[in-house]
Amino acid sequence: MNQSNKSVLNTLAGDRSEKADLLHGVFHELGVNFASGVPCGVLRHIIKNFEDDAAVLHVLANRESEAVGLAAGAYFGGKIPVVYMQNSGLFSASNDIASLLVPYRMPIFFVVSYRGCEGEDAVQHLTTGRATEILLESFGLPFEIFGNQNLENLTRSLFETMCKAELSTFLLFKRGWHR
Amino acid sequence: MNRQEAIKVIMTTIGVQNAVVSTTGLISREIFEKFDSERNIYVPGSMGLASSIGLGLAMAQQTRRVVVIDGDASILMNLGSLVTVGNKQPTNLLHVVLDNGAYASCSEERSMSGTARLDALAGEVGYQYVRTADSQDDLKRAIMEFERGPGFILAKIELGGRRDFRRPLELAAIKNRFMLFLARQTQGE
Repeated sequence: MNQSNKSVLNTLAGDRSEKADLLHGVFHELGVNFASGVPCGVLRHIIKNFEDDAAVLHVLANRESEAVGLAAGAYFGGKIPVVYMQNSGLFSASNDIASLLVPYRMPIFFVVSYRGCEGEDAVQHLTTGRATEILLESFGLPFEIFGNQNLENLTRSLFETMCKAELSTFLLFKRGWHR
Repeated sequence: MNRQEAIKVIMTTIGVQNAVVSTTGLISREIFEKFDSERNIYVPGSMGLASSIGLGLAMAQQTRRVVVIDGDASILMNLGSLVTVGNKQPTNLLHVVLDNGAYASCSEERSMSGTARLDALAGEVGYQYVRTADSQDDLKRAIMEFERGPGFILAKIELGGRRDFRRPLELAAIKNRFMLFLARQTQGE
């Protein structure tokens, strides 16, 4: 095995993120007990925490639309769900968000990785990257991009507003957010 | 058996505590007009997601039976959900597909269910109880004999029937009463 392969494997096996652990703790305190989504490397620490937590019913989805449906069903049944996906998946699931979550006024919290921003090296992300904030704005759904804010305060405040307004809400994470 | 007859058999045979998730178009509109109840949730948009919503609900409330009333074109839009159901093995989920081989809520354009063998597919990916029903008696028996899921009933129905049903519009109110129904019954168990 050459050195570069080894480092990739080490990254997958080993790393933790204090910020992801903090976010998970906040989710726990907010009562989150259901998670569904389609994986993205940018969110790997968050997903691992859902998977490792026996208090969270975690269901991987084949497509982002499915995750929206699973979370909606769990919410009806009294669970507090989080849905995770890459921003590319927001476009796959956009009709489901617009025609299920919006008219039913369902407060579902989304954790979304934000590809296609400054410094993006993959061309397939550029168009959805440019359109992501415009999509959410046009749906009238609240969102924030995590940067220098206090992650705990940001998450709590988004959650509180979401439950009051009964509007699905999106927290976006750019590459490198977890360091 | 037509859609009207199939829906009547399902809605009058399942238990009163069962939750019902019905798919987009005429299926939801007919159920809303004739069998509206606090135990129903309609999926007027997000076509294809009834099975996913049903699975999420079945996993959240594992002691309650959840009946999904789906269509052939609808499940064909979200075939991956069959795999997810098979993987998660919700024993309380009964998934009924009304198969008229068409997008009947549009203009009856042909779907591909004729070559899909949806019942075989469901069995292959892990549904534990799989039946087909061509008549009202078959359908009633298939529902009554269902004990442990995940269950899948492929109900073959004829095209056609009434189309002028009103639409469920007050969705937030329908959600609230559905959630109250689910919460109340859970507490009672």
